[in-house]
Amino acid sequence: MSEMISTSGLTKKFKELVAVNQVNFRVAEGQVAGVIGPNGSGKTTLFNLLSGYFPPSEGQVTFQGEDVTGQPPEARVAMGMARTFQLVSVFDHLTVWENLVLSNVRFRHNGSWLTNFFFKNARKKAILEYCQESLDTVALSDQAGTVTSELSYGDKRMLEIAIALSLKPKLLLLDEPLAGLSDHEIGEVIELLQKVKSDFTLVIIEHKISKIMDLVESLSVMNEGAIICEGEPDEVLSNTDVRECYWGREDC
Amino acid sequence: MIDTLLYGVTIGAILYIFSIGLSITFGTMQIVNFAHGMVYSLGVYLFITFLPWVAGIFPLAMALAVAAMLPIAYLVERFIIRRLYGESLDYAIIATYAVLLIGADVIKYIWGTEPQPVSDPIGIPLVIFGVVIQLYRVVVFLSAIVLFIGLKIFFTRNVIGKVVIAALEDRDGVRALGLDVNKYFSIAFIIGSGLAVLGGVLYSPITTSEPYMGFHILLLAFAVVIVGGMGNLTGTFFSAFALGMVIAITGRLYSSAADTMVFVVMALVLLKDPIFNFFRKLVGKPAIS
Ligand SMILES: Nc1ncnc2c1ncn2[C@@H]1O[C@H](COP(=O)(O)OP(=O)(O)OP(=O)(O)O)[C@@H](O)[C@H]1O
Ligand SMILES: [Mg+2]
Repeated sequence: MSEMISTSGLTKKFKELVAVNQVNFRVAEGQVAGVIGPNGSGKTTLFNLLSGYFPPSEGQVTFQGEDVTGQPPEARVAMGMARTFQLVSVFDHLTVWENLVLSNVRFRHNGSWLTNFFFKNARKKAILEYCQESLDTVALSDQAGTVTSELSYGDKRMLEIAIALSLKPKLLLLDEPLAGLSDHEIGEVIELLQKVKSDFTLVIIEHKISKIMDLVESLSVMNEGAIICEGEPDEVLSNTDVRECYWGREDC
Repeated sequence: MIDTLLYGVTIGAILYIFSIGLSITFGTMQIVNFAHGMVYSLGVYLFITFLPWVAGIFPLAMALAVAAMLPIAYLVERFIIRRLYGESLDYAIIATYAVLLIGADVIKYIWGTEPQPVSDPIGIPLVIFGVVIQLYRVVVFLSAIVLFIGLKIFFTRNVIGKVVIAALEDRDGVRALGLDVNKYFSIAFIIGSGLAVLGGVLYSPITTSEPYMGFHILLLAFAVVIVGGMGNLTGTFFSAFALGMVIAITGRLYSSAADTMVFVVMALVLLKDPIFNFFRKLVGKPAIS
């Protein structure tokens, strides 16, 4: 199996603090990988490095065989990497529908001006249909005209995932998608992910390990910036180091 | 009374037109852009130079001045503002302040320090309730209203406008959609710069232009942007007119306190929220959490 994403010696320092320390992280194509670890262990920072929001202090990121270390986030999105944020990130002042249309702006300007001129309407129509499809996938069609600030946190999370899916990613990075959701909403998100996971490679950061045990095929554990253990989920969770760093946590 | 009122809305209109660009730069890049004052004053001097070349046709000279400043604004954005993104606030202040000073020196070098008057291009007085007012000021006020409506449409209907507004709300979120925020920001910056020139030119028949004119309006505009909410374009509109009225009314009662009152109002607005909140907004939210 070929690699979707991998890092070598990836390190991020904030002044003296080493938030990510010499991480060699790899995910094979088509895999569903989980990343767990205590608060402040560097999970989000790792995602920010993978998706290009921070330049690393050291090391490389390779995406689909290409070194993308110096590429900005938007270039990585264009290559097929999408992400969501730990605190849900949707545009509150827009309606649900406008959020989706905005996320497809970049598809409007593909191709030469000549094809743009002749196929503008056809492409526009295709985009609109496609947005509708994305909404149906997350069952938010009824709320299309609602201003996003009025949605529940769970619906915002669903919308954020729908937006990420509408970017047609080859790799999707989800940062704690279940945080702040009710049990019912968690069920919906998990169900959605089960349904779509075969379309791409998925990496998911999560505190609620038990909720994602059925979803993930591999698990990496971070502690103090380093990956301290990785492998099959069951094996990882029975590892003594892991138990130690999670000792006393209700989630495990 | 009516003339004070009209003076207030005229100043408000100029402040609004000038402040839009500042507000966008604050909101999207968290950069305090003193260079905006350079674009403004240099634009006005170019306008004054162009005016006799085009047989005194005011709108034509204005259009030429705006057009001439757009490439300069682009260079400022590309080589100065964009490099300051993510740097600390004081770097941005120092670098853009330097641009403002250089602009003033260039003006002094080319045009000298003499104040430059521009005559009222309309020159038609109106008499309302026995008070004489200049039609030109009414036109300036109406221009600001038209601009406000035009920008509202641009920022809610046009794709570029929508992306800019979305970036004001969440810059990282826009990047996550695969959009190059800098490109959209460049466009907004250039529009804002063009408007600064427009504001300066519209103001030139009401005041006299001098090399340091950019410093004065910048201070007032910062108050406008802070009172209106950084990156909040509707707020900027209303705060510009409110502060314009403050200037006009204070100026009538005790003219040397006019500018001071603006900052008293700003201080009151700031103290209303805890000061902590202000700094958080100024520095921006933590990039990603
Ligand atoms: N932009 C930043 N500037 C300075 N320090 C940062 C920054 N981002 C993260 N850190 C620090 O890096 C460390 C790792 O943070 P990170 O957010 O990656 O942890 P996390 O594993 O995602 O934690 P959580 O489970 O709470 O989300 C923390 O000590 C944090 O304070
Ligand atoms: Mg995190």
